Amino acid sequence: MWTVFKREFLAYFRTPIGYVYIGVFTMLTGVIFYLNNLSTLTGELLTFLAQLTTLTMLLTPVLTMRLLCEERQHRTDQLLLTSPVSISGIVLGKYLAAAAVMLITIALTNVCTLVIALYGKVYLGEWFVGYLGFTLQSLSFLALDLLVTGFTKSQVPATIAAFAANFLLWMVDLLADKVPSGFPADSLNFISLYGRYETFIIGQLSFASLLYFITFIAVCLTATVRVMDARRFSQGGAA
Amino acid sequence: MIEVQNVSKRYGSVEALRNVTLTAPKGKVLGLLGQNGAGKTTLLNIITGYLAPTSGRALIDGFDALLEPEKAKRELGYLPEHPPLYDEMTVEEYLAFVAALKQVKAGAVNTHIREIMVKTGLMEMRERLLGHLSKGYRQRVGLAQALCGDPDVLVLDEPTVGLDPKQITEIRTLIRKLSAGRTILFSSHNLGEVRQLCDRVAILHHGEIKLDADIGDMGQSDTVTVLCTVQGSERRLVASMSHLEGVRGVNVLPQPDEDEVSLSLVFDTAAMPEKQVFTLCSAMGAPILRMARCEDDLEQVFLKAISD
Repeated sequence: MWTVFKREFLAYFRTPIGYVYIGVFTMLTGVIFYLNNLSTLTGELLTFLAQLTTLTMLLTPVLTMRLLCEERQHRTDQLLLTSPVSISGIVLGKYLAAAAVMLITIALTNVCTLVIALYGKVYLGEWFVGYLGFTLQSLSFLALDLLVTGFTKSQVPATIAAFAANFLLWMVDLLADKVPSGFPADSLNFISLYGRYETFIIGQLSFASLLYFITFIAVCLTATVRVMDARRFSQGGAA
Repeated sequence: MIEVQNVSKRYGSVEALRNVTLTAPKGKVLGLLGQNGAGKTTLLNIITGYLAPTSGRALIDGFDALLEPEKAKRELGYLPEHPPLYDEMTVEEYLAFVAALKQVKAGAVNTHIREIMVKTGLMEMRERLLGHLSKGYRQRVGLAQALCGDPDVLVLDEPTVGLDPKQITEIRTLIRKLSAGRTILFSSHNLGEVRQLCDRVAILHHGEIKLDADIGDMGQSDTVTVLCTVQGSERRLVASMSHLEGVRGVNVLPQPDEDEVSLSLVFDTAAMPEKQVFTLCSAMGAPILRMARCEDDLEQVFLKAISD
């Protein structure tokens, strides 16, 4: 797993993808910080973090688009799948590599926290809960996008499908308001990544939401392993 | 040792492999021959655990590649049809990565990949990006990665395809050297290569093993094969030739020109094939463009096997 992690992590910086992702994310973070905080002279950290969700939703597919598709396209998955490494080790290694790039990017957004701290006040508890929720939500999008890209062979459909999946989960809250109350609305609210994140935005550490995010990630990664394994049985090549 | 036991593979309604049974003993080189689409790559992918068979099983040194994948794959080196290379890595980085995947001890990786690079003639290229290598060198790197971890079993899918004559000779010499104490299974279209390198040959045709025998046992034959190219209707020619005296099989070979038909005809040795073919074509008004008796034992065996 660590061998795959190391290769994938370095591959982000041997190709433009890592730089593009970090560069665009931090640049847009700056724009959001300016609009949300600097132009209004407010030190609201949590509303700023809530707005970064849109960036995660839009940009996470960039991180995942090559992880599985490129291997299939270039048939390098033949090397991985015929080596003494388990499929779960391959999936976990790839996920952790993308997660590492994502965590570096999230860490960089703390420049905004520093600016708030310099000119205002940052409450440590609020910062911790806000960033914990934001990180877990981002990692959930990452796991979902990895699963979605596992179904396709080329990068463009993979990116579009991943973005659509993120958008659909984001829209679930709006849908929940429009469907009849009771089981349909409760179900939609239950699966909403944004809804789960809302508890963190208001500064509450919710163990139910914490557990939900961790379960969501685990389910997506397990499903990715199953998709890769099933392909060996179902078609003319795992690639 | 490789054991393939009653392996079948279906892709929807297409049966790519039908009840294939095959053994490649330790220390032997087994050549897998077959036309395009015969199922060679599918079979190799099943042996290496990349694909799952619909039924049957493949064992590497006694381990099932599906049920005990990590044990089976530890003994395996695989060069697929297209070498699995990451273009953004250098030769040295890539081989170090593969060595780590193959669980070579961290302290021994550098020495190990150095030895492999010397063996495969890659030392001068070790700092080059894989994306910048020529086809020949990419093939060499593919072979080098298959050697990482010093596996007992090597599976090579057309290892010399796309190489120039000098590179082909070098790779063949290397394969011959590597065969000592190892099991090597490789697929090829090249009969000369198979004759030169293999101890045993298996011929796969339409997903079935048509022949599995030692090279030494292929010298004796009670048939003769004639290859001829004739101008005329394929349907009429095949129908007429099938009725010649002593004919055992008629097989249509790939032919680039539309109005020409290339046939491989297998006759009993006493049948005087050339005379019969000449007389028939003459009567049909179909000019013979080329005709030759196939003197190569392996070629005869191959053509006979695929014409049944």
